[in-house]
Amino acid sequence: MDAEPLTIYFDGDPLPARPGDTVSAALLRAGHLATTRSPKYRRPRGPYCLIGECGTCQLRIAGQPNLRACLTVVQEGLVVESQNAWGPAGLDPTRLVDHLFRRGFDHHHFLVRPRLANVAMQAIARTMTGFGVLPELPRPGAPPPELHEHVPTVLVLGAGPAGRALTGALEAAGVDVLALDRRDRLGLSRWHPAPLPQRLLVDTGAFGVYAPERLIAAASPPLAGGSPRLHLVRPKHIVFATGAREGMIPLLNNDLPGVLAARGLAHLLERTDSQLTAPCVLLGDGEEAEALAAQLGVHRYAPADVERILGRDHVEGIVVAGRTIPCGVILLAPTRAPISELAAQAGAQLRFDGAGFAVLTDPDGRALLAPRPPDADDDPAEPPWQIWACGHVRNTSVDPTADGLAVAAALLAELAASEPS
Amino acid sequence: MSAALGSAALALPAELDLAVIGGGVMGLATAYNLALLAPALKIAVIERSYLVSGASGRNGGGLRMQWGDRGNVALMIESIGLCKRLAQELGINLWFRQGGYLFLARSAAAEARLHRNAELHREVGAPTRLLTPADALTIAPHLCAEHLRLASFNPEDGVVFPWPFVWGYAAKAVERGVLLRTHTEVQGVSPAGDGYRLDLSSGEQIRAARVLNATGAWSGHLNRHLGIDLPNHPHRHEIFSSEPLRPFLDPLVVDLDSGLYFSQSTRGELVTGISLPELVGYRDDTLKQHSTLRFLTTIAATLTALMPITAGLKVLRQWAGPYDVSPDGDAIVGPSPGHPNFWQICGFTGHGFMMAPAAARLVARWLARGEGHPMLTRWDPSRFLSGAAARREDMIIG
Amino acid sequence: MTARAFLCRCEDVTLGEIDRAIDRGLTTIEEIKRYTGLGTGPCQGKECTGALARLLVDRGLARADALQPFTARPPAEPITLGLLAAARAPFFAARPEEDPDPKDTP
Repeated sequence: MDAEPLTIYFDGDPLPARPGDTVSAALLRAGHLATTRSPKYRRPRGPYCLIGECGTCQLRIAGQPNLRACLTVVQEGLVVESQNAWGPAGLDPTRLVDHLFRRGFDHHHFLVRPRLANVAMQAIARTMTGFGVLPELPRPGAPPPELHEHVPTVLVLGAGPAGRALTGALEAAGVDVLALDRRDRLGLSRWHPAPLPQRLLVDTGAFGVYAPERLIAAASPPLAGGSPRLHLVRPKHIVFATGAREGMIPLLNNDLPGVLAARGLAHLLERTDSQLTAPCVLLGDGEEAEALAAQLGVHRYAPADVERILGRDHVEGIVVAGRTIPCGVILLAPTRAPISELAAQAGAQLRFDGAGFAVLTDPDGRALLAPRPPDADDDPAEPPWQIWACGHVRNTSVDPTADGLAVAAALLAELAASEPS
Repeated sequence: MSAALGSAALALPAELDLAVIGGGVMGLATAYNLALLAPALKIAVIERSYLVSGASGRNGGGLRMQWGDRGNVALMIESIGLCKRLAQELGINLWFRQGGYLFLARSAAAEARLHRNAELHREVGAPTRLLTPADALTIAPHLCAEHLRLASFNPEDGVVFPWPFVWGYAAKAVERGVLLRTHTEVQGVSPAGDGYRLDLSSGEQIRAARVLNATGAWSGHLNRHLGIDLPNHPHRHEIFSSEPLRPFLDPLVVDLDSGLYFSQSTRGELVTGISLPELVGYRDDTLKQHSTLRFLTTIAATLTALMPITAGLKVLRQWAGPYDVSPDGDAIVGPSPGHPNFWQICGFTGHGFMMAPAAARLVARWLARGEGHPMLTRWDPSRFLSGAAARREDMIIG
Repeated sequence: MTARAFLCRCEDVTLGEIDRAIDRGLTTIEEIKRYTGLGTGPCQGKECTGALARLLVDRGLARADALQPFTARPPAEPITLGLLAAARAPFFAARPEEDPDPKDTP
């Protein structure tokens, strides 16, 4: 990128960043891998998934605790602070917890007796819990929240390849369609070449599907001094095109800073026109893992052959089949798991696919509804909308573009059938 | 593999002395206390789902002496006294923290209630003290003192983490010989001799000389099998917990005028609920456990006005659970009308969790040796037949 | 650094802790979540639920077609109270004629 470089501040020190960088990108480029500590064993932690799905890149940003560094785009002078640490990383006394409890820490049965020791233990435990401290008060004169209501015929959650293909086909047929995506415009356009939907709310994550209230709620954080926005959407059809995410591979020391999700890093490198310079290996099975290793130019190993990951405050190497391989970054490429939490809130039935829970649909993409819970004692309300799913959220092995088009065709047929002629 | 926390595969005998239906805190604590007093009894607890799946796993974990009725204050003094040593007795960390309850009054009516309660608490022996708004701020520093008229504080009140409470009673009951069967629904109850026959979802039929209905808000389903008509009914309530932060709040705070309550758990999460005003289009007299945006927006508006620093606080998750509402606010405990061997331990109106340690012990003593207690007389399920029910309690929160 | 394999990094739940819960007889995702704390941290189970399901299937403790994740509760994204508060009056406040007298007992 040609634009002027920026400066952000990390724990008080200036840090160079490029326009379009996420906070995670700027930190990783500068080699800051460990930015927080874990709640129980007090181990160093940093970002993993790089797409807003995991929980360990959270930092205090501009006075607000627990913001996802991987989703926050840098601005000149942005103040970023690490969390959950006591003193400089290498000297944090709480790191001893990890060494003291070598065989694990059973929080249900630790030091229950005698009573006074139990009382003291609980008091100490309380001082060590929590991520971050209270947010700053809203600044006087900060722009007030904006509230928006939308009543589209079709709401599409997710503007990845499946969501874009589907939305494009609906738009071409003149359907009133609104798409939401948590990512920003730069991230979306660098991620995939297909054109973006015409009515697209970027930086806008759906956070709740409230079926009894007949609405979907979504929010956008305040960007560059603007207003935070809350959106209430009341569509006739919802299409879940939420894609898939990389879960965790339970290897020894899989939590070390420098263990990163392979696809998340690949997207970040594309977004920021960056190259991977640290010595790196990729762990994963199957064609997708192979393709990623080739794309990133790194060596791949099967997770089953990995004995452990090595390192103290960050990744320093890996032991594969008895051989130690030094490296600074380890990329995990597990089979992706469908992102189906919102569809589950909407009442869709899920099925375990070997890696995660996929939305169960008919061949056309209509989601099957979960059986009503036994306690649903009042009249079954008419579902306020028809639920659909396309792309990886219903099947991680389909081609998302083709699947988006197929479901769009079925949805158009249904809209045509329900239209009074 | 142990079955200390229940098992779907555990074998049950064909004949039981007591079948406790419902593996919530009431059923398990009663079974545990009864097994201590009468080790020879053959007792089983039958839970439809997993432990802590019902109201015992969905409440805010608060325990307080600050009630508006003498009997309830005395009961909670006993319950909190028991909780001080309960972790050691049950062998599990309960994370019981006595940070006190801070009640706030913003209206003249609420102020009058606090004055009246403080007098009552003094008479019964609960160490409640009235605080000026300025003093209240020393206990909960981030409160907005505007419109605050009076506060009351009892340092003995506190919070626990509800789940280990239930697991602790379960494991100790099992250790004492109680059979704990989970993932098994009682689908039918019918009289059989002096006792009852239970039809289980597993296809089994068992006979019990006595049955204890400990299913709380779900109890009406079971009672209907026997034609027992009691007036308790479910009412849906919601709670959210926030992102976990370092400790910033010691007491559980209750705003009497809105029914808002909030505390900070040992994990650092703000755990909070509120009384929701009636709203067209919403029905809360239900066992449905869905979450609403109406709840989140209502509680957010009230909480951020009372404690402005929370405006930037983020919601981590929200959930719902039922109160088992009794029309006079008193529990429904003891033999059912017309069914002397089918007992109830229900109707605690959203506050059963905090009363369970003391209430379960009273019921176990009654079952084991016929011992009475003034609260048991008050809780008689037959009181509604005679019209003797009288509302005494106005400190139902949430 | 002690060698540990994590299933849930948010709440520091290791494979050893999952084993302890299974030893207690807990074999459903809802039960293991509650006993170990898995899935109750900042990501609310997005990273770990699939891996736990896989472990239960691989060990023969659950049938793949019978497994369900724990209840998906809102919010799926963190949301501030300040923003939610702003939506109360326009969308969810009872209008006076719909709001019966406030009860004397909240």
